[in-house]
Amino acid sequence: MHILEGEGVTKYFGGLAAVSDVSFYVDEGEVVGLIGPNGAGKTTLFNLISAALEPKTGEIRFKGKKINGLKPYQICRLGIARTFQTVKIFGNLPVIENVRIGSLFGPFKGLSTADATREANELLEFMGLSDVAYAPARDLTLAHQKRLEVARALATKPTLLMLDELMAGLNQTELIEAMDLVKKIREKGTTIVMIEHVMKAIMNICDRIIVLHHGKKIADGTPQEVANSKTVIEVYLGEASDAGN
Amino acid sequence: MDLIINIVLGGLLIGGIYSLISMGLSLQYGVAKVLNIAHGEFLMVGAFITYWLQQNGVDPLLTIVVGGPLLFLVGFILYRTVFTSIRLKAPNTGVYESNSLLAAFGLYFIVQNIAVLIWGTTPQRFSYLASSVTILGEDFNENRLVATAFAVAIGAAFYLFLERTRIGKAIRAAAQDPLTAGLMGVDINFVLALCFGFGAAMAGLAGVLISICYPITTTMGLGYTVIAIVVVTLGGLGSIPGSFIGGFILGIIGTGVTYWEPGLAVASYYVIFIILLLVRPKGIMGK
Repeated sequence: MHILEGEGVTKYFGGLAAVSDVSFYVDEGEVVGLIGPNGAGKTTLFNLISAALEPKTGEIRFKGKKINGLKPYQICRLGIARTFQTVKIFGNLPVIENVRIGSLFGPFKGLSTADATREANELLEFMGLSDVAYAPARDLTLAHQKRLEVARALATKPTLLMLDELMAGLNQTELIEAMDLVKKIREKGTTIVMIEHVMKAIMNICDRIIVLHHGKKIADGTPQEVANSKTVIEVYLGEASDAGN
Repeated sequence: MDLIINIVLGGLLIGGIYSLISMGLSLQYGVAKVLNIAHGEFLMVGAFITYWLQQNGVDPLLTIVVGGPLLFLVGFILYRTVFTSIRLKAPNTGVYESNSLLAAFGLYFIVQNIAVLIWGTTPQRFSYLASSVTILGEDFNENRLVATAFAVAIGAAFYLFLERTRIGKAIRAAAQDPLTAGLMGVDINFVLALCFGFGAAMAGLAGVLISICYPITTTMGLGYTVIAIVVVTLGGLGSIPGSFIGGFILGIIGTGVTYWEPGLAVASYYVIFIILLLVRPKGIMGK
């Protein structure tokens, strides 16, 4: 079953089509990678799905129900959560408080304060953040802040989790940990869409990859198919192969 | 020595009310991002509601249960109608803040003009708990002690509300990052309207407390708005302990300057304000 579908989704910034007539689907339980060169419209598409922006034309459906036009908090309560390319944690609040806000407000029926605390502790344990639970979130390392964003997103009990460049800026060890983490989240049954530039992670984890370029979808298939697609190779390696000539 | 004790105690006895006013502005400006120039007008309306009810035989302290909730509702509805649509139409936070400042300016004139039409411009006062109490050899009116106690109690109760309750957490999250709080499932328009409503209620309650101690006029609002802005800057925007520290400090300074030369009280607030902006713009408790 398609958990998320987009049909002819278009968004302009001034005269520029950031996302142009993009149609896509995500099946339940899938891990879908969203890739493309900088400025391809990946984050814009995330913003459109999570209602930070509204599409000019087209329709986005979640579990068969149209969701464009809803407010961010309604999207969240339907079961869609996301993280950000540049982390947006509540820096002045303790780590655990960041997660508890997700538990208290995110699920359709929010948890009681005691349950939220228990659940936040479990999530921090799952993410390996128990040691820093009471530190102000701004004091964490980037890798930990990214994990905190994931923990906070999971606290809202999503069926669909959108990760925006989770792996960017991580060192080799952190990268492997992050990849394991995504696999663990998937094993829990959460559907994942991830924007990523780290090809090793994309090829390793994703069932399917969607490629955007200049706001248009140029490929959609298994990692193998996409890696062998002529258009994709041109977009990514065009300049490099020119240089070789 | 007696003079210093008198100034410090007198300052503390007005400082509690300053703190309450400033907590209100701190919510409206710190969380809802509206620099509410009309803040003092809500205070004035609260004071005149008490005056009017007192003239009709109601005990002034009881009017707290009318003034607080009524002004909360006015603030809440005002935010949901005017400021929410300004926020949603603004392309960025900067435009929202400047447009809402202009709207608040308009509100200042509207509320004040209506109040002048209803109650005129002559100062009003009534006598309530006017017997004097001696503290450390200095005499103060009983009503000032009662008003300060109420102001501190209301402030402490609100602090606990923010720290302990579910809505309090939503407010603290919204104060930091409204967009992200929205993505965590917090209904931002509702939470910001709550903050604006609570801010208006605190101004209203401060108005009630002021009316039982001092003469009131329909044009007194702006003076208190200025005090609130200075205290919020002094204490740190968005910090409730900061509002209290700032409120008491300004109370003492104001009382001292007034003792020396009443005409310079407001000027002294501005001197403090400007020095702060140069030396420590985030205030004593600011983060």
